[in-house]
Amino acid sequence: MPRGAEIIDRLAPIAELPSVFYEAFPMALIDLKETPVREANELIRQYGAVGEDVEIVNPDARHHLGVGLTEEISVRIRGSAGYFCAGLTDGAYFEVDNNVGWGVGDNIYRGTVVVRGNAGAIPGVAIRGAEIIIHGNMGSRAGQVMKSGTLCCAGNANFMAGYMMYGGRIIILGDSGENVGEDMSAGDIYVAGKLLSVGSDAVQVDVLPSELDSIMEFLDRYELKAKRGDFKKVNNAGKKLRYGKTEQQVRSIPFHTFSGKCDYWGPKVQEDVWVKSQIGRYRIRGYGGARTLPHLSDLAFRSDLSTIGDDPHVVSKVSMNTRIGGKHGANPLDLSMPVLIAPMSYGALSRSTKQAIGIASSLSGIAENTGEGGMSDAQRDAADQLIFQCLGGRLGWNIHDMKRANALEIYISQGAKPGFGGQLMAKKVTKELAEIRGIPEGIDLRSPSRHPDILGADDLVIKVQEFREATGYRLPISIKLGAGRIHDDIKIALKDGFDFVELDGMQGSTGAGGAEVMEYVGIPTISAIVGALDGLAEIDCAGEIQIVLMGGLRDGIDAVKALCLGADAVAFGTSAIIAGGCIACMQCHVGQCVTGIATQDPDHEKRYNVSVEARNIHRFLEVVRWQIAAITNALGYKNVTSLCRDDLVALTPEAAEITRLAYEPGYRDSDRNFSESVGLG
Amino acid sequence: MCGIAGLLFKNSDYHSGLGRSLIDMLDGCQHRGPDSTGFALYGPSQRGRLVLRFLVGEGRGAEKAISRIRSVLSEQQARIDEEYNVGGHFRVKVSVDHDIRAFSYAMEQAAQVFSIGESLEIIKDVGGAHDVDALYRVHEFEGTHGLGHVRLATESDVKPEAAHPFWATGFSDVAIVHNGQITNYWKMRRRLERRDFEFRTDNDSELIAVYLAEKLSEGVSLDEALETSIQDLDGTFSFLVSTMDEIGYAKDKLAAKPMIMYETENLVAIASEEVSLNRLFPGRALDTHEPPPGTYATWRRDNRPVGPNRRAA
Repeated sequence: MPRGAEIIDRLAPIAELPSVFYEAFPMALIDLKETPVREANELIRQYGAVGEDVEIVNPDARHHLGVGLTEEISVRIRGSAGYFCAGLTDGAYFEVDNNVGWGVGDNIYRGTVVVRGNAGAIPGVAIRGAEIIIHGNMGSRAGQVMKSGTLCCAGNANFMAGYMMYGGRIIILGDSGENVGEDMSAGDIYVAGKLLSVGSDAVQVDVLPSELDSIMEFLDRYELKAKRGDFKKVNNAGKKLRYGKTEQQVRSIPFHTFSGKCDYWGPKVQEDVWVKSQIGRYRIRGYGGARTLPHLSDLAFRSDLSTIGDDPHVVSKVSMNTRIGGKHGANPLDLSMPVLIAPMSYGALSRSTKQAIGIASSLSGIAENTGEGGMSDAQRDAADQLIFQCLGGRLGWNIHDMKRANALEIYISQGAKPGFGGQLMAKKVTKELAEIRGIPEGIDLRSPSRHPDILGADDLVIKVQEFREATGYRLPISIKLGAGRIHDDIKIALKDGFDFVELDGMQGSTGAGGAEVMEYVGIPTISAIVGALDGLAEIDCAGEIQIVLMGGLRDGIDAVKALCLGADAVAFGTSAIIAGGCIACMQCHVGQCVTGIATQDPDHEKRYNVSVEARNIHRFLEVVRWQIAAITNALGYKNVTSLCRDDLVALTPEAAEITRLAYEPGYRDSDRNFSESVGLG
Repeated sequence: MCGIAGLLFKNSDYHSGLGRSLIDMLDGCQHRGPDSTGFALYGPSQRGRLVLRFLVGEGRGAEKAISRIRSVLSEQQARIDEEYNVGGHFRVKVSVDHDIRAFSYAMEQAAQVFSIGESLEIIKDVGGAHDVDALYRVHEFEGTHGLGHVRLATESDVKPEAAHPFWATGFSDVAIVHNGQITNYWKMRRRLERRDFEFRTDNDSELIAVYLAEKLSEGVSLDEALETSIQDLDGTFSFLVSTMDEIGYAKDKLAAKPMIMYETENLVAIASEEVSLNRLFPGRALDTHEPPPGTYATWRRDNRPVGPNRRAA
C-alpha cells in the first residue's frame, strides 16, 4: 500500500466550484482509502502549518478526523466522519458533506464545523467558543458541558439537549426532544419547533428582541431559515446552583482529635448533629476519611532494620530512577525516584500553592499533576514535568495546554469520593477561576461525576485514541481510578491502552466532599493495590501496566511498603501540602484558609510565601528520597525495583486478610522502634 | 462493553455475502471489543431437523465431550444426520421429535451448547473477526440474516462461552447481541427462574435472550416483546435480536449506547457505529438514521418493515 505522502496530489478543479477558487487556494487531497487516520492527521497538521486547505475523500465514517488541528485552514470531508470529528481544534473551518458520529467538535476553542447530514450524540460537547451547524438531526445530550459558542441544529434535536451546559447557546430549528437544559448552569437554548419538555432546574423564559436579532443574523450567515416568532427559550431555573444554606463557621476540631477515639456522644458527634440541624443537608469538608481503617501502617518490614543508621551517602547507593508511561512508545515521565505529586486542582488550592508544589517537584526531579480545573502559566513554568488531568466537566481542558503537558490523564474517580465529581464552594469560584474553567462565577460547583463521552470501556478506548491523535502519540496517557471495583477496572485500563494507572485509595484527601462519602464509601489503599494486582494476574497480565499508588501515603516508609506490595511508584498529596504549611484543620472547602493554601481570596493567599514553601516541600521530598534509599539499602537491595512482598508482614488480622501477608504481631515493637528512628513515629 | 452489528437481506433467498458482510462490519468496529467475536447466522431451514453447535474445546477433552454428546443424543433418541468438529466447536445435525426446551437442557449435560435451531448457527470464539473467520470459515456462510458482536471483557473472563451472541437457551433459532449493562439483572433473572427457566452464565446479556424467548413462547410477537423489554429492563442498552424470519432492535430510554442504521429496498443494516455500515458501502455517503432513545423496530424477510421505529408506551 502506498504511503499517504506519496499519494497526495493537488486536486484538479471540481466541476461545481469555479476553477479560479482552486487556482487561488489549492487544496491538498488525502484519500483515506489509502492513508491511515494517524498519518492523515499528521498530514493535516503539516498542511495547516503552511496554510494549505485540505480535502478528505473516502472518509467512510472513520473516527478522529482532524483532531488537534490548531491552524486556521479549512478541511472538507467528502462523506461521513466518525467520532470526535474536528475535536480538540482551534481556529479551523471544517465542512462535512454527510453525517458525523458522537462528539463532533469536541472541546473546540474557536472555529467552525458545518455538517450537511446528521450528527450522533453529544455534538458540540465541551466547546469553548466554536460555531457548529448541523443541517440534519442531532443526537442526544447536545452541547453537554459546553462553555460558550453556538451549536445550531436545523433538524430535530434528541433527548437532553444542553445537559449540564455552563454557557453559550444552542439553537434548534426543529423539535427539541425531552428534558431540554437538564441541570444546565448557564447559557441559552432556543427552540423554533416543538419544545417537548424542560429538564431538571431548567425553565422556559421569554426571548428578548436583541437575542432574536442575533439568532436571525447567525441563521442568515449560514443560509438557514426560521420564523422569528417561533423561538422559545430555556434557561437555568436557579434552584440548584447554590446550596440553600451555607454551613456556619464553627471552631474547627483538629484532624488528630477528629479522627481519634472519642466518647460515644463526643464533641465530633455533637458538632455534626448540631450543624445538620441548622443546614438540613449533608455536610461538606476537606481532607479524607478519619476513621481507623487498615492502612500501610498495619504492615511492617520483616527484616531487622535497626542498623539502618544515618549514612548521608545512602541515596547514591540505591538506584531509584523510574520511568513511567512509555509502554506504547510515548515519551515517559523520567522521575529521579518512584514518586509523583498527587493530582490536586488549582481551585481547591491557590495559584501560589500549585506554583510552590510545581517548583518543589522540579527541584526534586519528580512530576506534578494539574488535577481538575486547568493549567496556569505559573504552574506550567514551575513544573518540569506536568500531568494534565481531564475530568467530566472539561473545566479548563483545551488543546493548547494538552500540547504543552508532559502527560495526559483521564480522571474516572477519586479515592476519597469514588463515583462523585469534584466540589468547589461558591467562595472559591472567583471571577478569575470561573474564567479559566469556563463556568459562571460564584456557583457552588458540583462537577459532573461522569464524562459525556465515556459511558463504558468501549467509548473510553475511542477517547484515549482521540487524545493520542490530537497530541501526535507523544504523551503518555494515564487513568486516575478511585478504588471501587478495581479488580475489574484495572483490566479495562489495560485493555483500553492506557500507559499507566494512578490508583487512589480511600485514605486520600479532597478539597471538598460529602463527609459521609469520605468516611464510608471508598476502599482502603492497601485493598486497592492488592485488588488491582489480583485483577491483572487473573488475566495473566501481571506487570503489563504500571501503577502509581496514592491515598494517604505519608512518607518514604509508606512509599517503600507500597512498592513492596507491587506499586511501580507512589504519589503524595496531603503530605506535600502539609510540608508546605497546611495545618490540617479540614476547612479546605470554606475558602478562607488561614495559611493561604486552600483559598482563592487574594488577602488570604498573600500569607503564602511561594519560595519559602517550595523549599519546604522540596526538603520534605528529599527526606522521602532518603527514607526510600535507606530502607531499600537496609533490606539488602541496590534498586527499588527489587522490593517485594516477602519484605513485609502484617501487624493486624485485617491487614493480613487483605494483603495475604503473614500475620506477625510480634513485629509490632521492632516496627515502632524503627518508625521512631527513620520515620514520622 | 462492545460493538454490535445486524444485517437482514429482505428479498433474496440465500445471500452468499452474509458471512463476509458481517465480518467486515465487525472488523470496522473491532476497537470496541478486541477480546472475542461472534456471529449468529441464519442459513437454509433444515425443516424439522435441528443444527446443534457445541463448545467442546480441543484434544482429549474434545474427544470426551463429543462422545458424551453422541451418547446423550442416543438417549434422547435423536438420529445424527451429519457431524463435524472444527476449532473448539462440534456441529451436529439431528432429526428429533421432542420439546426443544427439555431436549436442550438434556444436551447441556453433555457439553456447552452454543445454539440449537432449524436455521440458526452461533459461531463465537476469542480473538478478532478475522481470527474467528480463519478458524470457522464464516465468510463461506450463506444465509438470509444474522447478527455479530465484538466483546471487551470487563468482569467475566475471556472465554468462548462468555462471548456473544447469546442463544436463548431452550428456544430454537432465537439469538441476541447487546451493548450496555442491565442493572435489574438479578431481579429479572429470579423472576424467570421461578418459572423454571435456566441460565447458563452470569452475563446480563443472556437475560435479554431468555426474556424475549419467554415472551415469544407465550405467542407474543417479536415487536410486542421488544416494546415490553424497554419498560422491563433497566440500565443502558442497545441490543439486536433475531429469530428465524426477523431481526429487531431496542434502545434504552437514556440513549447511552450508540446505534445507527441504514435501510434500502433490499436490506437493513444496523451497527454501533457508522464506520461499520460504511464497510459494506465503501466510499459512499450513506443516508443513515439514528434510532431515538426508547424505541424499537423489527423487520421480516420478504417483507417491508413492520413499521417505522416506535416508542415504547
